Order: sequence, then C-alpha cells, then structure tokens
Amino acid sequence: MIRVEHVRKRFGRKQVLRDISMEARRGEITCLVGTNGSGKSTLLRAIMGLTPLSGGRVEVDGAAFHHGMYEKVAFIPDTLTMPPGMTVRACMTFMQDFYRSWEAARGEELLAFFKLDPASRVGSLSKGTAAKLNLVLGLGLNADYVLMDEPFSGIDLFSREHIASVFASELIEDRGVLFTTHEIQDVEHLIDKVVMLDQGVIAKEFYCEDIRQREGKSVLDVMREVYQA
Amino acid sequence: MQAGIFPPIAAFNNRDPVYLQVVRHFKELIATGRLEAGQTIPSRRELAALLQINPNTAQKAYKEMEEQRLIITEGNSPSRVTHDAQLLGAIRAELVREAVEAFVATIRPIQLPTDELVEIVRAAYEAPKEGE
Repeated sequence: MIRVEHVRKRFGRKQVLRDISMEARRGEITCLVGTNGSGKSTLLRAIMGLTPLSGGRVEVDGAAFHHGMYEKVAFIPDTLTMPPGMTVRACMTFMQDFYRSWEAARGEELLAFFKLDPASRVGSLSKGTAAKLNLVLGLGLNADYVLMDEPFSGIDLFSREHIASVFASELIEDRGVLFTTHEIQDVEHLIDKVVMLDQGVIAKEFYCEDIRQREGKSVLDVMREVYQA
Repeated sequence: MQAGIFPPIAAFNNRDPVYLQVVRHFKELIATGRLEAGQTIPSRRELAALLQINPNTAQKAYKEMEEQRLIITEGNSPSRVTHDAQLLGAIRAELVREAVEAFVATIRPIQLPTDELVEIVRAAYEAPKEGE
C-alpha cells in the first residue's frame, strides 16, 4: 500500500498541499481528480520523492520512500522524457539498462498492444503515440505500483479507449494504480476509488461502486457537488 | 463464446452499480436464450477486458451471480450457467415484471382506460417488426 500521511508542500508563499492523507492499495485503481492547480501532479511527484516535502511522510508497503523504490513504483509523467533523437527501440534498451525490474518480454507485448513501430524516433511521434510509448516504458517495469499523471490528456478518443483498455487487462492486474485525469467520464467504469483534491486538501475519498449503490450518483455527479458548491 | 453478445462500454450507465448492471445483462442473455443452460461464460479477467470494466467489479458481479445461483463454478473449471430450470424461469419472470413495472410507471400519468391501453399494447406487440 502507498500511504500518504499529513503531507504538506509549499512553493514559496503558496501552500500547494495543505495536509494530505490518503492510501492507494495494490489490486486497486485509484483516481486522483481535481480542478486545475488543485495539487494533483504535485502530490504524485511528492510520493515519488521528486520534490521535497514541507511536512508529513510517504510510505510504500510500510517503508519510507528511498531510491530503491523506483524499481517498485513506476512513474509515468504527463510528458515523455526520452530525448527526441532516440528511437522507440533505443528507449526500450535504455529501460533495460537502467532498471533491474524492466521486463523485456512484457515490454515487447506492450509495444505490440499499442502497435508502436520500434524504428520511429521519439521526436517524430504524435502526442497520442508519445503517450502510448510513455505507458509502454512505465508498464514494462515489473513494479508493484504505477503512478500516472494524466495518461489521457490531449489524446484522441480511440487512443484513449485503447489506453483505457490497459486498465481492464492483465497488464495492470494485481498492481496498485494511482493516476490523475480530467476525463473522468471516460474511465468511471474502470476505477475502484476516487480521491478528490480541492485547494490542497482532500475534499472527498470514496469507492465508485459504493457511491453508485448508496446514493445513485456517478463520479461526475459527486465532482459537480464538490467543485461547484 | 462470441464477444458480440456483450454490450459496448457505453451501454452501461454511471449511476447504478456496475456489478449489478453486469448481473442484469447476464440475466437478459439467459432469458433471451443467447446464453444457454450449462454454457461456459468468460473468465472474470476476460469479462473485464471485454466490457472494459474494472476487474474487481467483474469479480463482484460473478460473486453475486454465484450467490444467486445463476452461475456455478466448480474448482478451477470455468463458470457455467445453471441448469436449474426453475431458476431460469424465475429470471425470465423477473425481467418481464421489471419491464412491465417501468412501462406502467411511465404510462400511468396519462390515465388511459385499461382496455384502450391493452389494445394499443396488443397492436404494437403484434405488429410486424420493421425490416421483417
């Protein structure tokens, strides 16, 4: 389990995360939602140790985050970080060299799943294709947890459906997934749990099936209540 | 098992529990004979991929159907539709009752005399379907 306890983050005078406590469990897909500037990306980066915390702590399976965790927790940022001159194949080789937990066979499977051409160069990829490569590189790691920042952003409908189908597949099974999105209506059926951030605090945290069962509401309905109140 | 009998993702609504919508869909498949008694159904993982739903939700739907004895899972073999004829009949009756209740709830505010309503229903029900 990824456990976030009383995490605070301040940039200068701006308090981006005020007092965040939440969990993301293995075998569950947790979705972090919030309006622009609500601190979603900052929280993901804070969990990954990519930005120093102003307070609080992050634990993965009971241990504080340390550099060895990068083998165990994969992070797929909202833009591809590979140099434009590299080919898709070279990116795969890079991952193989850099991570002990890289699974070459799974990487190939993912390349085929997304129909990516190993010979094409990173710089020539369309936005959607770059997003798919980003997913290949993140999901090819045999990590217990996967964090994704806006995996659907700016991507056409069919590519979005294609990416969403990964969530329902064995490529994700048994892992813990935590991701942010603005396209909640596309993935309501795919996620277990929603954590709503609002101005640096958690406004609401619930299981989707519970809220449908108890209140007959969609995730979007709850978002409207929280953010338009 | 052909994938075609399962609805595209858009057929599910976002306000009712997805697992119950899945159970209902299976009941419809059984009541209309598209799934037959004893027929093997997809694994939980296959169903999640097919319907593009959360694997935990697929699991919950199968658990519910097992509790309702709609499907039977023995050991490690794939789940099958029950052979229980009484139960299969009850599913059909349940779906008919639900559809009629929904229809009645919609039509009641219009306050038609029963005979007139029944006549309209009969005519519509017995009319040849378009394209036939």
